[in-house]
Amino acid sequence: MEHMEETKKEISLEESFEKLDEMLNELESPDISLEESFRVYQEGMKLLKQCNETIDRVEKSVLKLNENGELEEF
Amino acid sequence: MARNVYTVAQVNSYIKNMFTQDYMLQSISVKGEVSNCKYHTSGHIYFTLKDRSGTIACVMFAGSRSGLAFRMSEGMQVVVTGRIDVYERDGKYQLYAQKITRQGIGDLYARFEQLKRELEEEGMFAAQYKRPIPKYIRTLGVVTAQTGAAVRDIINIAGRRNPYVQIILYPAIVQGEAAVQSIINGIHALEDAGVDVIIAGRGGGSIEDLWAFNEEAVARAVFECSVPVISAVGHETDTTIIDFVADLRAPTPSAAAELAVYDIRELSERFSGVREMYRRGMERKLREAAMQLQNRKTRLRYLSPLSQIREKRNFAMNLEGALQEAMDRKLAEKRQRLLLYIERLKGLSPLEKLKQGYSYVSTTEGETLISVKQVKAGDRLKIYVTDGFVEAEAKSIGRLK
Repeated sequence: MEHMEETKKEISLEESFEKLDEMLNELESPDISLEESFRVYQEGMKLLKQCNETIDRVEKSVLKLNENGELEEF
Repeated sequence: MARNVYTVAQVNSYIKNMFTQDYMLQSISVKGEVSNCKYHTSGHIYFTLKDRSGTIACVMFAGSRSGLAFRMSEGMQVVVTGRIDVYERDGKYQLYAQKITRQGIGDLYARFEQLKRELEEEGMFAAQYKRPIPKYIRTLGVVTAQTGAAVRDIINIAGRRNPYVQIILYPAIVQGEAAVQSIINGIHALEDAGVDVIIAGRGGGSIEDLWAFNEEAVARAVFECSVPVISAVGHETDTTIIDFVADLRAPTPSAAAELAVYDIRELSERFSGVREMYRRGMERKLREAAMQLQNRKTRLRYLSPLSQIREKRNFAMNLEGALQEAMDRKLAEKRQRLLLYIERLKGLSPLEKLKQGYSYVSTTEGETLISVKQVKAGDRLKIYVTDGFVEAEAKSIGRLK
């Protein structure tokens, strides 16, 4: 279960970067209209914010598996 | 009969010479049991090599210590390779060791090569079975001894790169009889705990110390583990079986931590970088749009009726100016010509002549007197000067020749 969540997060981060690159290309192309530019920019910023939020920012201390199979501080 | 009597020095020298001349004694390998081993502070090692029948004194000088890769102790079975020579001072011969190895070490290497061949044939080293190491992990499992440089290095480097990754350590026994099962248990336990990647390894040591990581059972455990495994055994030059089976091989435990844990500072920078590019892209678009707007504004302003009127008015004013100028010029021209004529006329004016002292003389008939033929003596003449005339009578006529 936790595995799946991690892989999901894994895919989204890399995929997100890909999507961000795509959108950036769109933004930089001369063909795009001003309205479209606004939309792409906003979407990009939103995606970036999401990526940032998926990164855990809580510092962790090292845990060790003891004889009973339980976790304790190392 | 007189016997030759020699000195001790001569005899010892003679014997030493015999040894030196003996080809076999220059490099010989001797196996035996270590006894009376003394590690001197100078770095030299003195010991005795013994077997059932006898002993031989050995020394390994500090300069040759690179030929010894482990700590020698009482009772060890070793093979000493070196030179047998005479220490004249004591009248003794010694084995001067260049290289010392454990007995049966050759066996271990052979076993390593064989297992490596077998498992390779089975396909366990094949690239297609290697699981990719996830880039952005949340949890890191470590199978290694809970004391020592390996675990310390891994924790330090992982923590430096990303303190938000959860490290779970399975404290394993990494050498000796219990090691194999301990390592296998560790891999299974961490797999069950659901970590994103496992580092399995230990610090440097001899081939015997590292042997657990060459065991088939451990190799299979690594191969079958559903979580990607990074092998981190010993130093860069040490290779064990699990280095081939693992999903990724790291030369050292420190390197393993770098491979497993992404650097969050780099990720943050990447985020900033992307944000900056978007901002700039948007800025550029806005600037372009503003420029386009300005461009049209200018053109519109130019085309406006007010602007057109101003334009025409300007044009008219210029024309007027030009006209005026042309007119003035023409007038000046004509005036100039007039002045010239006046001057010429003045030049030709009889009044001027009169002013210069010339007179205009006319006969009584009113003819202008030019020649003496027109007059004879006694005729009346009128002499005109500037301010009047003088009536005169011709007295006599003279001719110019």
